[in-house]
Amino acid sequence: MKKTARNIYLALILILMYAPIVTLMILSFNASKSRSKWGGFTLQWYSSLFRDDAIMSALYNTLVIAFLSAILATLIGTCASIGINSMKSRWRTVFMGVTNIPILNSDIVTGISLMLLFIACRFTLGFSTILMAHITFNIPYVILSVMPKLKQTNKSTYEAARDLGAGPFQAFMKVVFPDILPGVLSGFLMAFTMSLDDFIITHFTKGPGVDTLSTKIYSEVRKGIRPEMYALSTLLFLSVMVIMILVNSAPKEPDKKLSLELENEKKKLPLRQVIPAALVILVAGAGFLFHLGSKGSVSDEKLIVYNWGEYLDPEVIDIFEEETGITVTYEEYETNEIMYPKIMSKAIAYDVVCPSDYMIQRMRENDLLAKINWDNVPNIKNIDPTYMEQSRSFDPENEYSVPYCVGTVGILYNKTMVKEKVDSWDILWDEKYRDSILMQDSVRDAFAVALKRRGYSLNSVVVDELIQATDDLIAQKPLVQAYVVDQVRDKMIGNEAALGVIYSGEALYTQRENPNLEYVIPKEGTNVWIDSWVIPSNAQNKENAEKFINFLCRPDIALMNFEYITYATPNKAARDLIEDDSIRNSRVLFPEAEDLKGSETFQFLGDEADSYYNELWNKVKSK
Amino acid sequence: MNRKKLLTGPYFFWAVAFILIPLAMVLYYGLTDVDGHLTYENLLAIGTVENFKALCLSLLLSIVSTAICLLLAYPLAMILSGMKVNQTSFIVLIFILPMWMNFLLRTMAWQTLLEKNGVINQLLGFLHLPSIQLINTPYAIILGMVYNFLPFMVLPLYNVLSKIDKDVIFAARDLGATELYTFRKIIFPLSLPGVVSGVIMVFVPALTTFVISDLLGGSKILLIGNVIEQKFKQGSNWHVGSGLSLVLMVFILISMVVTTKYDKDGQGGMF
Repeated sequence: MKKTARNIYLALILILMYAPIVTLMILSFNASKSRSKWGGFTLQWYSSLFRDDAIMSALYNTLVIAFLSAILATLIGTCASIGINSMKSRWRTVFMGVTNIPILNSDIVTGISLMLLFIACRFTLGFSTILMAHITFNIPYVILSVMPKLKQTNKSTYEAARDLGAGPFQAFMKVVFPDILPGVLSGFLMAFTMSLDDFIITHFTKGPGVDTLSTKIYSEVRKGIRPEMYALSTLLFLSVMVIMILVNSAPKEPDKKLSLELENEKKKLPLRQVIPAALVILVAGAGFLFHLGSKGSVSDEKLIVYNWGEYLDPEVIDIFEEETGITVTYEEYETNEIMYPKIMSKAIAYDVVCPSDYMIQRMRENDLLAKINWDNVPNIKNIDPTYMEQSRSFDPENEYSVPYCVGTVGILYNKTMVKEKVDSWDILWDEKYRDSILMQDSVRDAFAVALKRRGYSLNSVVVDELIQATDDLIAQKPLVQAYVVDQVRDKMIGNEAALGVIYSGEALYTQRENPNLEYVIPKEGTNVWIDSWVIPSNAQNKENAEKFINFLCRPDIALMNFEYITYATPNKAARDLIEDDSIRNSRVLFPEAEDLKGSETFQFLGDEADSYYNELWNKVKSK
Repeated sequence: MNRKKLLTGPYFFWAVAFILIPLAMVLYYGLTDVDGHLTYENLLAIGTVENFKALCLSLLLSIVSTAICLLLAYPLAMILSGMKVNQTSFIVLIFILPMWMNFLLRTMAWQTLLEKNGVINQLLGFLHLPSIQLINTPYAIILGMVYNFLPFMVLPLYNVLSKIDKDVIFAARDLGATELYTFRKIIFPLSLPGVVSGVIMVFVPALTTFVISDLLGGSKILLIGNVIEQKFKQGSNWHVGSGLSLVLMVFILISMVVTTKYDKDGQGGMF
């Protein structure tokens, strides 16, 4: 009876631990790209996974960094533990206190402070800085797992060995080390795992072109996680599990009481060898795969591109490299706000970046941008002049930016749940839709909705208007199901909510996945946003950057990108090439002037207004 | 003996360069304003109604989830330590293995499970039970915390419990102590170092998390970790962000003092 209860309890805990894992594995066979819809069984993600160079090289980096940092951390940490163990208790406390800091500090603080340190020391951010950061947060895990084992060792055995003529090193290796080995090994394993799972610290300490799986996954959040990632995680997980089962199915010792030390040694042996060996094989295998896929071309002409995640057809880069012989290093970010500190700190000399409107203004005002030489960008003629005109709100003389993607913010609604006509922001305050409304979780987007509803400017800095908007947002909060950024897409596809505030670029994709969804631009007007290419003032390869921008403005290339990312292109010539009439003439993607009556583009309002907005938003969120 | 201390050398330099100096930079940012003048305002920012509320809510949620973790993990660790599995590495692996799936992917998988039309509610519907609102509630956040940090509680507990000398327990039983009394007087006091280190290993990350509350709480619930993250990312205001981090460090300091008091011999390690 007791045993049954025990087993049920164990089973329940294991279900809790492994339910999400199983979910992810199932998702890796899902034909639909959205996580909230089952589109049938497929193996295509597994095959496309191995063809994807970017993912394979991220896997390689991840494993190499995890492996190296775990090895070095184990080395430094084990030595340190031995030293600390022989110290007086006061010093020991100090050291252990310092050791606890990286574990207990929040990741973002550790990440940014390390980035500042690397910049101050003029280290170039890249592979080596990630490695250093990972070693830093890995050492404590090693120390914390070695220390308890060291304390259990009997000091007299070491002294006995010394008395019997062993040198200090020999005595250590023969007597102490075997005792602490399990601690060292589990420290190594823990360090490896922690390094594998880290995102935030890696993000701030990495350089261009170096991606780990975590940074790759996070940069994909905006456009939806690619199912290849589920497939890869499943494979990684299964291979570790197989190793584990192999290790533990080693023959059991016959009788515990009779077993001598020697027997114990034998039993531990497979684990000792198999885990590190398996890791080496994994790393080497991944490296081999990666090098099979990578092209060995290295040229002197370089270009470092910094773009939103999933915001460019990878094939476009291949074509560009082929045509011009310029080697492109491509790096992605998740939000404007994550991109800005990296540009501002000038830690990396990016050549071309793709921020949004208000961020371009902010960068321009802080002298972070270089003027574009239009003689090198003749294809600018393909860009619809209306968008050049609109760009003037953040780039008054059209000197710094070339529009790349444009769109609006509107309401996406589910026709089966919303029967009335949707044409106003007011519907987001309708009691009927309690708990089925998704709002944007970003200060400016949320306030834009509230301000526009009242007929105010979305760049308002009038205190009364902002306080009114704040009150409205607080009043709306009970009706809101969730404040989300990227998950609007998946939640709307999965029929989780009736109404959601979303970017127009997502409309096409969500409608394909769930035909009941409809996108409208409310009559009060909305935010018209433009993401444009700019060249930072510290760019090293400005001419190549201009070549790249010019290349992206070519109609065929712009069309490729449009089809890949489904966000509207301001490139008129490319739009004319779209074959599908319903897309080419879609007023959702390419709204007419009358649809945009009363709409505006975001402007950077200055640091003071910015923090006032944030303060008000905090008030809304904490209610 | 003295030469052994030299082994600490590499770590000493490493810790100074990559732990203490960055920490000093946080301290500098936390105590200055944009123009570099000394100010306490960033620390006092914790006192605003919103931030204080976020802090209290974070404390509440992390205390609750730590308690749940302890309640779940203690019997589990007792069962595991009583089992004849003599391989610590096996137990460790069972709980470390899920971490090989990316943290973000794991937490997003919980969304798929908890949503209105998610797996759990569909199962309930299949059994003709009413569906329940799970996602975007404080309960979902607590679930996320418990799920993610449970291993940090199980491992130290398992470690201390499996080290308790069985003869002591037998002796107590022989002398007439009931099972409960043995637990109260023998097992629990001996496992205290593990309890303390487990509690801290769960409580501190739960206190500073922001990803879990974003993904499972629908961002409707603002925790102190979200506030700090927002200051660093959206507001690009590193000074206030650092100031608030310093305030959080007070809790970390307290926890360190507690550990050294109860876990003098470092028995309550993770492994």
